Amino acid sequence: MSIMDQNGGSVIAMVGKDCVAIASDLRLGNEALAVSSNFQKIFPITDRIYLGLPGLATDVTTLKERFRFRVNMYTIKEEREIEPETFAHLVSSTLYEHRFGPYYVEPVMAGISKTPSGGFKPFIAATDLIGCLNYAKDFVVAGTASSKLYGVAEGLWEPDLEPEDLFETISQTIMNALDRDAYSGWGCIVHVLTKDKVITRTLKARMD
Amino acid sequence: MEHSFASPSGHPQPHQRHFNPYSENGGTILAIAGANFSVIAGDTRQSEGYSIQTRYAPKVFRLTDKAVLATNGFAADGNMFVKKVRQRLEWYRHAHSKDMPIRAIARLIQTMLYARRFFPYYVYNILGGIEEDGSGAVYSFDPVGSYEREACRAAGAAQSLVQPFLDNQIYFKNQTPAHGTSHPAHLPLDHVLELVIDSFTSATERHIEVGDGLEIYVVLAKGSTPQVLDRWQGVTEMTTTQDGERMFVIRRNLKRD
Repeated sequence: MSIMDQNGGSVIAMVGKDCVAIASDLRLGNEALAVSSNFQKIFPITDRIYLGLPGLATDVTTLKERFRFRVNMYTIKEEREIEPETFAHLVSSTLYEHRFGPYYVEPVMAGISKTPSGGFKPFIAATDLIGCLNYAKDFVVAGTASSKLYGVAEGLWEPDLEPEDLFETISQTIMNALDRDAYSGWGCIVHVLTKDKVITRTLKARMD
Repeated sequence: MEHSFASPSGHPQPHQRHFNPYSENGGTILAIAGANFSVIAGDTRQSEGYSIQTRYAPKVFRLTDKAVLATNGFAADGNMFVKKVRQRLEWYRHAHSKDMPIRAIARLIQTMLYARRFFPYYVYNILGGIEEDGSGAVYSFDPVGSYEREACRAAGAAQSLVQPFLDNQIYFKNQTPAHGTSHPAHLPLDHVLELVIDSFTSATERHIEVGDGLEIYVVLAKGSTPQVLDRWQGVTEMTTTQDGERMFVIRRNLKRD
């Protein structure tokens, strides 16, 4: 069994109309044995960027701190908040620094970026464990339930969903994918990001 | 040149040759039971590794006027298995002057699969059709004959993509009905067909082993009207007897990349 599947866990991010959503499960396990039902793997980076880190739990914890450090350094030096596109490259290069001894995580990012004209644009991206970026117009998935997430998302997602509809779509996608994955589940959390607020909800999911 | 099995020391070494009798030919199958109908579908791509062997290799087969079998896994085993099941059904007809009922076919398939417990047919089977009481039925099997009657089942390469979608859309998993209402136990035929097509287009989009063509078999119970099928394109009727169950095939294209 792969190191990637040791602790289990899955993350998905979706684009909507002027909004994005990111969701994850809350399980931490040691192979088949469940250890915690409140293991957060999505972290706020700025008010408008959220980062999901499914994979090896020890690397999740390490990287979350590492990204906090690097984003703080960026903020101090640049005297401004980091943009989602820039952060995606920061994630990518941080992981590629360890090309031949990688961190076992597959980051998923969701954010709202500022356009030069002063508008806002939804942004999602994911990378593999060595930082190869994947920008998508619709949705990105990662973790032990990734194939299930792809199947359900491909069936449920549609373009230009309003925040409440996007919330329903991402919630149904992750819950039904999780229920078919033994290594993910034990509750889930959803964040919906719009230009001026973030809605966070913990879902009442199956706990088996 | 002489082929010897000499080791560096010059002494002959025993050498084992290996033959692998199995292969995986990709593709996906799916069946959904309605109140008085059954839908059994499969894509038509047959592949081995990254190569496409053919874009049209049927995986769904008519067994009787009211039973359809879909096979997925190792195509050679699947075709041979269908051949053997059909032979047993013909013997049954000669002995009893009627078609074998679907629940009996299901049990027959179990014994035939388990007979090969230690050299299995490398095939996942889904049997669909109409029960003697007129209800739509789906039976799903593992390669050694464990089986179960269900309302819906996906199997094959894209099972992990399709099954959770079906849990949500057929069984209404993770959906709470509005106050004072309940979810329907069975869906109407046109809705089921829409879900089958959506499942396969989704699977085609994200799985390299799924695509090319889609064959959907529809079995309607005695006395039910096939009017819903009028608005569907590419429908071929396969019914052989009057005033019995009616059978149709819908053939569609899927993406070929």
